[in-house]
Amino acid sequence: MTQQQPPHPATALDDVVHQRVRLGILTVLSETHECRFATLRDELGLTDGNLNRHLRILEQAGLLQVTKGYEGRRPCTWLRLTRQGRAALHAEVAALEQLVSRIRTATDQPDPQS
Amino acid sequence: MDPGATEQAGRTLAELERLRRRTHRRAHGGAWLPATGIAVLLLASMALYRHPLGSASSIMADHPWWAGLPDEQRNPVTSYVFWFVGTPLLFAATGLWYHWRARRLGVRVAWPLFVGTGLGVLALLAVFAAVPTGPVPDGLVAAEGPFWPGLLTPLLPLAAAVVVLGRAERSRGLVVAGGWIALLTVWLCTSFPLGSVPGWASWLLGGGGESLGGQLALRPGHYLVLMALPLLSVAAVRLLSGRADRA
Repeated sequence: MTQQQPPHPATALDDVVHQRVRLGILTVLSETHECRFATLRDELGLTDGNLNRHLRILEQAGLLQVTKGYEGRRPCTWLRLTRQGRAALHAEVAALEQLVSRIRTATDQPDPQS
Repeated sequence: MDPGATEQAGRTLAELERLRRRTHRRAHGGAWLPATGIAVLLLASMALYRHPLGSASSIMADHPWWAGLPDEQRNPVTSYVFWFVGTPLLFAATGLWYHWRARRLGVRVAWPLFVGTGLGVLALLAVFAAVPTGPVPDGLVAAEGPFWPGLLTPLLPLAAAVVVLGRAERSRGLVVAGGWIALLTVWLCTSFPLGSVPGWASWLLGGGGESLGGQLALRPGHYLVLMALPLLSVAAVRLLSGRADRA
């Protein structure tokens, strides 16, 4: 009888979320109710175009919500994490932590051949 | 997975944690103002009582407890106006504060929920208080009857609002402070005279033995200070940590 191995934590990583900038976007939004586009751009040190590209991917995946409006006469875009986005971020961080602890445990164990 | 990739994953996690903490401080650094405002409102309500800190030989208090706690108030109309004007004014000031912060910092807090809860429960209080009841019992004796009219106090809307503010500001301290105000209010407003300890509670605190209960020798002012203390502590911590970040 063979014992079934638990799935490797790397399989839990989501390609949409795993990208470094997108992880940063989700992390900032997870700590706010809503965040302004310009604030997020400055916080992550990105250009408008670069941030827009990542936001579109996250919005298409249903992980964030974009609201366009005005502040006085100036157009303003506000971003908000959806419930799905919050869950995706938690799952990604948990998978990363599991992955790191798994490999640390493996490297801490003495090599049987030495 | 090679050790380099693991190291990178570890670095990414550390970087995300730093980013999360920085954003948290930026987004929720303004909680000190509403917390202080509510504490000041609680402490200012001491002025509504005839003997806020000193002892009295007799106490007259009728439902609803418009001053907040079941004790003799100077004037029920003044108490009513204080809470029904003071609370909305405080919420309006809080709304302006959060609006200004959102424009300046580019991050919003879910403050409308806090204001909505406070005003909603205050409106419910007004509706329930308007329900016609029987004749008022003699104020010089401990009133017998249903306990719920004792809950008609303007302190409960404030407690509910503080709990919701704590959730909006991701502050366990504020949630606990709201729960503490609610707990003290429910205990004090469903027992008469103020600070009565039932027999079972004395038995529990005294570690057994027969007990008929008793009364704590504290006045409304003391209880209001006890309610305001956790709020002021949270406000001080938020204000000081915000200052330390800017320095």
